[in-house]
Amino acid sequence: MTRGEGLARWFERRAIAVLGVATALVLAVLFYYPVLTVFADAVRLGGAWNFEVAREVLTDPFYFGVFAPLFDGDLTAVSEIAADQPLGLVGFTAYQALLSTIASVALGLPGAYVLARYEFPGRRTIRSLTILPFVLPSIMVAIGFYAFFGANGPVNDLLAALGVGRLSMLGTLEAIVVAHAFYNAPLVTRVTTAAWESVDARMVETARSLGANPWRAFRDVLVPQLLPAVLTGALLTFVFTFMSFPIVLALGGFQLATVEVWVFSLVQQLDYAEAATLAVVETVVSLALTYAYLTYESRQSANSRAANPPPRKRFFPSVSADAGSLIAGLERAAILAYATVAAVVFVGPIASMVVESVTGPNGLTLQYYRFLVQRQVEGASFQTLPGVAVRNSLLFGAATLLVALPMGVTVSVLTARGGRWERLADTAAMAPLAVSGVVVGLGMLRGLVFGVELFGHRVQVDGPVAIVAAHAVAAYPFVVRNVSPLLGGVDRSVVESARALGATRVRALLDVELPLVAAGVAAGAAFAFAISIGEFDSTVILATGSSSYTMPVAVERYIGNRTLGPATAMGTVLLAVTSLSFVVIDRLGGRWEV
Amino acid sequence: MTGLRLKDVSKSFGEVTALRGVSLDVADGEFFTLVGPSGCGKTTTLRAIAGFESLDSGEVWFGEREMAGVAPEDRDVGVVFQNYALFAHMTVGENVAYGLRFRDTPGGQSKDARVAELLDLVDLAGFEDRDPDALSGGQRQRVALARALAPGPDVLLLDEPMSALDARLRKTLRKQVKRIQSELGITTVYVTHDQEEALAVSDRVAVMNDGGVEQVGRPEAVYRRPETRFVAEFLGENNVFAGEVAERGGGAGRTVRVGGQSFRVADFDAADAARGSHVTFCVRPEKLVAGGRENAVEAAVEAVEFLGESFRAHLDWEGRELVVRLSERPEDDRLRVGFAPEDAHVVSVGDRAREPEAVEEP
Repeated sequence: MTRGEGLARWFERRAIAVLGVATALVLAVLFYYPVLTVFADAVRLGGAWNFEVAREVLTDPFYFGVFAPLFDGDLTAVSEIAADQPLGLVGFTAYQALLSTIASVALGLPGAYVLARYEFPGRRTIRSLTILPFVLPSIMVAIGFYAFFGANGPVNDLLAALGVGRLSMLGTLEAIVVAHAFYNAPLVTRVTTAAWESVDARMVETARSLGANPWRAFRDVLVPQLLPAVLTGALLTFVFTFMSFPIVLALGGFQLATVEVWVFSLVQQLDYAEAATLAVVETVVSLALTYAYLTYESRQSANSRAANPPPRKRFFPSVSADAGSLIAGLERAAILAYATVAAVVFVGPIASMVVESVTGPNGLTLQYYRFLVQRQVEGASFQTLPGVAVRNSLLFGAATLLVALPMGVTVSVLTARGGRWERLADTAAMAPLAVSGVVVGLGMLRGLVFGVELFGHRVQVDGPVAIVAAHAVAAYPFVVRNVSPLLGGVDRSVVESARALGATRVRALLDVELPLVAAGVAAGAAFAFAISIGEFDSTVILATGSSSYTMPVAVERYIGNRTLGPATAMGTVLLAVTSLSFVVIDRLGGRWEV
Repeated sequence: MTGLRLKDVSKSFGEVTALRGVSLDVADGEFFTLVGPSGCGKTTTLRAIAGFESLDSGEVWFGEREMAGVAPEDRDVGVVFQNYALFAHMTVGENVAYGLRFRDTPGGQSKDARVAELLDLVDLAGFEDRDPDALSGGQRQRVALARALAPGPDVLLLDEPMSALDARLRKTLRKQVKRIQSELGITTVYVTHDQEEALAVSDRVAVMNDGGVEQVGRPEAVYRRPETRFVAEFLGENNVFAGEVAERGGGAGRTVRVGGQSFRVADFDAADAARGSHVTFCVRPEKLVAGGRENAVEAAVEAVEFLGESFRAHLDWEGRELVVRLSERPEDDRLRVGFAPEDAHVVSVGDRAREPEAVEEP
């Protein structure tokens, strides 16, 4: 063996460890350091410890409602506050997240029942469409709901036609909750359907043979197996809606602000200390919930899954085979009613956005698209140019892919198969899922973007790099979520066979494991790309005052005008690009199993 | 080719001790079998040889080479697993050729020729372009064997390779494995829980229990002269008696009292077993004959099973279960059985009986 080959082999043996260290470094610099910057901002001022801002925030009834006096130790004001603002900003954030969770479960569970228990044309398509919310840019959904509930939107048109009269629904809690349900009900549906499909039909049959009627068998055998999935979906929905940003920003405004929106607003006012304090409160809550989720999940995954689901009922039975009892008929009617509601909630906003983008004051028009083109051609460099937004989005998406994919695969390899540090590594690696984009964006802005002293050198990264970094941090957990379960499912002896035949660990990974989980890797890549394309929370902070804005940021900047037109047109462009990545995900057999 | 030596190998997984000081010597070219119940440590031993498990203590030697710190890919071993572990995204030919990416083809053949040769060896000539998914279980296992052998390994390690196959196929395949092994003369370690399989194919067997080696020897020797009660009961059926020496008598034989009954047992060295010594001995069911006059006891017939070529009867003798083989179904519900003094094998002699309870059926 020559010297060069020897060196290559030496590196090959250690490649996994090297990649692991590199990933840990990237995470430390791009995620943990920014988040710690935010934590430090909350309690340090001018290089010294200072808890004044933190104390002010914690004891301000505006933030903590009736809890503020508790933190203050002064209980005299409780009754006054209870009457005035009992929840405070944080309480309201939790309250709307709770309502959103209930709405998502209510909307999602019937869907899971239908998808798991009925066979009908298009079932598989609808099942795979349930991953759509993770791919749809949140700002686009917000614009869609804005158009849907707006004064001239279809909902108000319908109400007027029914003689109820037009209602102002923008800026109401209901609008936010419905939009959150749009986002998260499919998640509940998806995890529950997956659990339902992995139920062993023989268990139900055994219960029936032991004397349980169908209802008892359902309650005693099926429900306990589905409950963990429903709780998983509910917990994740709560975390996501607790941190929700663009939907609340667009539909609630600052009147119905959540913590996330308020942090953003404080950042805009350059009040970093107060923003950081609030961000810390939010992060602690969401991290605690995510930790609870991961602990719960690891307990559940011990259950073995036999893939022997009960057969599906046909939704359209052949006439001769099934005359249909009254109950079966009622059930079908209920399902059709549910399907109608679901269609309105899920199709309505997106369709409204597209329709709005081609509807002017005088009917059908392409003026908003002409506006985009014109802006691109004639716009000044300080204005938001659609072409630049599209170019930036695609560039950042590709760059995100290049960073997030190796990171995600490395983390998957290191955590997929037990091991001493698996739990810790898993939790540390999944933390970005639980930290909001606004917090990461804020941390990067305050740290690397403003510049950091390091060994006497001033280290500073510019906007695009910071944006790609933030996107990669947000995206790679999705790569892990797609690759890790498949990798864990690869038989250990397959890898060991390759090792015994002479392959190093990394060769076995490249030659054997990755080809076997190619679908998961590809889906993870598509997710990473789509998340980068749709990311709004950190981008809007990092792109402030620079030319590194993306399509979602452009959408938000176009809202400000009197008409929704340009924003919906830009949103439609965004929809087109996003749909393309969804098609890719679907072709590659993408799966999202939380 | 090379021999194999394990010196005092120990391994724990957390609280569970998998191997407690296992020492083994496998000769060059030997077909050596590790047999034992599940959880006895036989697979862990194999994985330690392959380098898949790090050792807590002890040494593994391949010939003159100590293997500590040597990665699996550098050990020149061929491994075949129970579940085939074929690479599903490669054809049969690509599977067999995979190891040739990292090692030179033995004999300087082309890769294609080597693959063809190996597939021919396992009676799958011309299967190069097949998809592993399109093969039967037995065919897949033969592909796995060809793949393991292609780079010309020093040692072949087989981890329960037949367990996923049906009984008939297992017998055919084990003959084939044995034929290939002796043709190539490759040092082979074979792991199985099936004692019949172990006895049928091995040059020597090691019976393992609870992380340790109970006995090593040629199949006939281990079967006929088990050294521990565990081995006596694990390999085939056995009737184990525990009693104490009643009198010396003439020559090497002794009279052993079990319960209220005296048995004449020939299998004693002249020196050992003073009067009063505790003795454990065993008699195979086929040696416990109906109507025998020597060492005869009368027992109640509890159950009879028809095995095809014979019957197996479970008897109750003073609360102890005995098993006998009979050529005819017993007509009575009581049966008189006995054995010749030289058909009893003494498992252990000691001052204290290890198991106070006399006879148990494994």
